[in-house]
Amino acid sequence: MKIGILSFAHHHGEAYISNLRRMNSVELLGVADDDSARGEHLAKQYEARYFASYEALLEAKPDGVIICTENNRHLPLVEMAASRGVHVLCEKPIATTHADAKAIVDVCNKAGVILMTAFPMRFSAPLIEIKARLDNGDFGDVYCFNATNQGELPTKHRGWFVDPELAGGGAIMDHTVHLVDIMRWFTGSEVETMYARSNKIFHADEVQVETGALEMLTFRNNVFASIDASWCRPQYWPTWGGLTFEMVTQRGAVFVDAFRQNVNMYTHDAQRANWAYWGSDMNHAMVSEFASAIRENRAPKVTGVDGLRAVEATLAAYESIRSGQTVSVNKNSSHVTLF
Amino acid sequence: MKVGIIGVGFMGTTHASGWADTPAKIIGFTAETQKEAGALAKRYNAKVYQSLDDMLPDVDVVDICSPTHLHHEMILKAAATGKHIVCEKPLAHTTQEAREVVEACKKAGVQLLVAHVVRFFPEYALAQSAIANGQIGKPAVLRLHRGSYRPKKPAGNWFLDESKSGGILMDLMIHDYDYARWIAGDVETVSARRVTESHPDAPIDYGLVILGHKAGAISHIAGSWAYPPPTFITRFEIAGDRGLIEFDSDNTAPIHNLILKTGGSDAPDVGLPASPVSESPYTTQIKEFYAALADGRPTRVSATDGLASVQIAEAAIQSAQSGQPVQLSPLMEA
Repeated sequence: MKIGILSFAHHHGEAYISNLRRMNSVELLGVADDDSARGEHLAKQYEARYFASYEALLEAKPDGVIICTENNRHLPLVEMAASRGVHVLCEKPIATTHADAKAIVDVCNKAGVILMTAFPMRFSAPLIEIKARLDNGDFGDVYCFNATNQGELPTKHRGWFVDPELAGGGAIMDHTVHLVDIMRWFTGSEVETMYARSNKIFHADEVQVETGALEMLTFRNNVFASIDASWCRPQYWPTWGGLTFEMVTQRGAVFVDAFRQNVNMYTHDAQRANWAYWGSDMNHAMVSEFASAIRENRAPKVTGVDGLRAVEATLAAYESIRSGQTVSVNKNSSHVTLF
Repeated sequence: MKVGIIGVGFMGTTHASGWADTPAKIIGFTAETQKEAGALAKRYNAKVYQSLDDMLPDVDVVDICSPTHLHHEMILKAAATGKHIVCEKPLAHTTQEAREVVEACKKAGVQLLVAHVVRFFPEYALAQSAIANGQIGKPAVLRLHRGSYRPKKPAGNWFLDESKSGGILMDLMIHDYDYARWIAGDVETVSARRVTESHPDAPIDYGLVILGHKAGAISHIAGSWAYPPPTFITRFEIAGDRGLIEFDSDNTAPIHNLILKTGGSDAPDVGLPASPVSESPYTTQIKEFYAALADGRPTRVSATDGLASVQIAEAAIQSAQSGQPVQLSPLMEA
């Protein structure tokens, strides 16, 4: 099976190369990037075949592609891949507008190709463990989540993460989708209402987008939750950030710190504390699932609709900030059967 | 200085111990449960009064540690007779009542000292001082967490009677509304949810509140009565544009108890942090109140602070019912 990578605008593209290389019976077809300098440089660095255009890569007949453009540039590449019958794993958030997100889902549905959203947390070993226990009834009913997805300003990876147009927003656009997806996965329910409040105090002079954000959401099954989506971690924090939640249930509460599996390192070279992660590589499990879904001709464990629903909740957060009110989320949405 | 204490539960007992560390004299106690009052009075060589009315002529200061719904009437009585007042949090059951008692004390020219004891806990005081000194720059996102088990009070169980305690959004989380105001200033919006609103039959309770501060910061406040006894957890994380402060009572506990249990063990009335310090924060608080009353020294918490946190709590209760954020109206000048 051949898989290609379209664009290195998102730095995860580099990680996916390593993931693909370590998989049996999957071949990294190559990479393409409209930023030819970046593409050629990284292709050389990772010893991958470089295609001069996205079309050229797609003409080489990959089974699937991983789309790692800026957030607002996914749709044209999804259309290009789907029209050639190529399966798609798309970076999150799948789009910055509802129209694009919907079009991405529809075009893949119509073309009969797999559309998977890159939600790596679905493949986190600690989260899978909690979800299994939840499904087993160990915790009783879930009442609420108190969740955080905090990070440093992501500009050290790529500058466009703080571009209002290319990223579609700031910390809210970057972080909300992960926890919304986790909660939808855990509860099997859809977001019903959203309230959010944001500010721009961290990095106030460096960026135009929100850097601090708190959200309060409710689900149709009466579960409620808060999300802290802030870019509040200083650059000298011992790691990039993290994702945590407290799940409150009939039987008490469970604290989950998804990236807690670290050793604490103090080195002369770093001159600061460093948390070195030794937990399982969820990106690898995610890319493997994409390949398995293609091989087995089935829907992946996390779909494009999951990506669409997460975008809807995220856009509702911005709507709430504009109106100052708690707003309804995708009132009329029902689960689309995909592929 | 002659002090009379109302209430002989956990707080009355704790305050008495604080007063005993000051030059003030505990004159007497009054409480609904006369039996417990007798034991406490004996310890401090003080009297048991049948009522507040009986006690008032004998004291300079009334320390109110009674259930929240009784504060209003007691403060008004004490103020009317020119007595200074120390009052447990929440200052009153409603914003209206809190406003009335603050105004009454101002008019009577008596001090109203509200026991927001969290401001006296050394970890919270340290963080506030570091932030006031500009060490983390401008506060942007505050996360405050306080968690324990559902209170079980054998006598009367007033904590669990929401009409008397105000429930988790009032009684437990008011500590952190007050602290958030101390750090990030006045609050303009309150959005809240709680478990017993969405699931009235839940065996536990848990509240989530988002505050929008006038100066731009946002605060996330979580309160839990969902944990197994005798858990008591406090946490804070305050992120500013020039740094971040975090605290976790679990991670900083200097003693971890791995002693085997013998027989069935029951949890105490109220869970408390197990991080021993040389002076109880409750005593630090009473000493500061004593200095304010004796010498007119400033205190770190004003009567208006007590009123403001009740206003936030009331808004949180309202928001949890309506699902919509509540805009706070400006309070009167302090």
